[in-house]
Amino acid sequence: MAGEMHSKTAGAGETVLEVKNLFVNFGAQEVLGGISFEIKEGETLAVIGPNGAGKTVLFRALMGLIPFDGRIKWREGIKIGYAPQKLFENSELPLTVREFFVLKSKNLFFKDRRLCDSMYHELHSVGLGPEILERQLSNLSRGQFQRALIAWAILNHPNILLFDEPTAGIDLAGEDTIYNLLYKLKKERGMTIIIISHDLNVIYRYADKVLCLNKNQLCFGEPQKSLTGEQIARLYGESAFHHHDNNHIHH
Amino acid sequence: MEFLNHQFYLILFSGIFTALAASFLGTFVIVKRMALVGDVLSHVALPGIGLALLIHIDPFYGAAVFLLIAVVGTWLIETRTALPPDAVIGAFFTAALALGVLLVPDQELFESMFGNLFAIKFGDAVFMIVAAAIIFILTLIISRRLALSIVAPDLAKSIDAKPNAFYLFFLLLFALSIALGIKLIGSLLMGALTILPAVSARNFARSLKSFLTFSAILGILMTGLGIIISGAFRFPPGPAVILSGIAFFIISFIFKRV
Repeated sequence: MAGEMHSKTAGAGETVLEVKNLFVNFGAQEVLGGISFEIKEGETLAVIGPNGAGKTVLFRALMGLIPFDGRIKWREGIKIGYAPQKLFENSELPLTVREFFVLKSKNLFFKDRRLCDSMYHELHSVGLGPEILERQLSNLSRGQFQRALIAWAILNHPNILLFDEPTAGIDLAGEDTIYNLLYKLKKERGMTIIIISHDLNVIYRYADKVLCLNKNQLCFGEPQKSLTGEQIARLYGESAFHHHDNNHIHH
Repeated sequence: MEFLNHQFYLILFSGIFTALAASFLGTFVIVKRMALVGDVLSHVALPGIGLALLIHIDPFYGAAVFLLIAVVGTWLIETRTALPPDAVIGAFFTAALALGVLLVPDQELFESMFGNLFAIKFGDAVFMIVAAAIIFILTLIISRRLALSIVAPDLAKSIDAKPNAFYLFFLLLFALSIALGIKLIGSLLMGALTILPAVSARNFARSLKSFLTFSAILGILMTGLGIIISGAFRFPPGPAVILSGIAFFIISFIFKRV
């Protein structure tokens, strides 16, 4: 049974997304259960949890890519940009960065000038130079790749950005600047951001709200109040405990 | 040079156009990592050919109908069920091959699998050239959406680009291109004509554009060369085309940057 997807009209600073009692099942197996939270315009929500906790599943449900039960209510007319962890694994396609952007064009065949112009603009705003356009997507460093994905996601000025941070691989300096970049997008464009994060420091520094997941919802609220030491132990301790029977959800 | 007659040019030109359509589609077959699925898919043509021969219609239509049904089945399995598509397809389509062997009369079996069964007439050649050109143009038109759907299905869905619909459309074009090649090089080898140019082009392509271009050029070269060899030495065209394709594939490794 598919859940309902509602939209409602609201003014600035109001609720952008409201999730109530969200359940996602893969076959007989429950991968997300009883998730409820909301996010207001301009806020940054961090989603944390161990591997296989259903974080990316939550994103996919929010975008309506998979069936769910419960309610997901986006504000009417909202535009969502999505920066996934990775693309199709070991792709055989020798795609250049420029071509990757062009794939987003609504023109199926002819040149899209507007897209080309905003492509340069967004690359600049994520800190990448135009020389990267001719490089192959598969040859970029992890950091460059993440930036390219963010630039792709914000190409048509979405109101909300869903950023699925990769589990590992970005060096600290790179990670720092990715967060600065997201913070800049929030400040300059008033963008609402939902980020899957693995770094607790980042959450305390940048997130207005935090959602702790381990298939079920363990906490939701301001990081300083909700994300207590006890909560963290519960969240990640359980993951170690479940290590043998956990069902890795690969995305 | 006595082989350079009217019949030879009919085969050469219909072959080149069929190769253009197949090799262009082949790039996406490779990217989607369904090279073997595509190969096994071509077996489904055989019972279609057998039935068409039984009721005395053009074998192209029999093959096309069976292939179209098979790709819709493949698509449904892949998008609607959790079944592993390669196992289901491997079992089901190989059964189709067995059925085809029983249905197609002995003397025509070899040729329907390896080509040169039906002497290509002028009308056939025109049909193949026009159909191949249409398949090529349609593939060109959907290539952006198709590439995005394969590389990043979630991103494609997130911008409402309907990846499943484009994937189905691509499979239908793929089925038609296999049916088109049956008279020329046979059902068994058509899968190879689709895949060989693309895997060779992949070895030195540095972008999507060059990948598509090189694959189409290589498809035309290997088919042209294969048909010339088959004409000169009186080989069946199918094996000659595939062996010339293998030669190009080996040469492509020289250009491969590791």
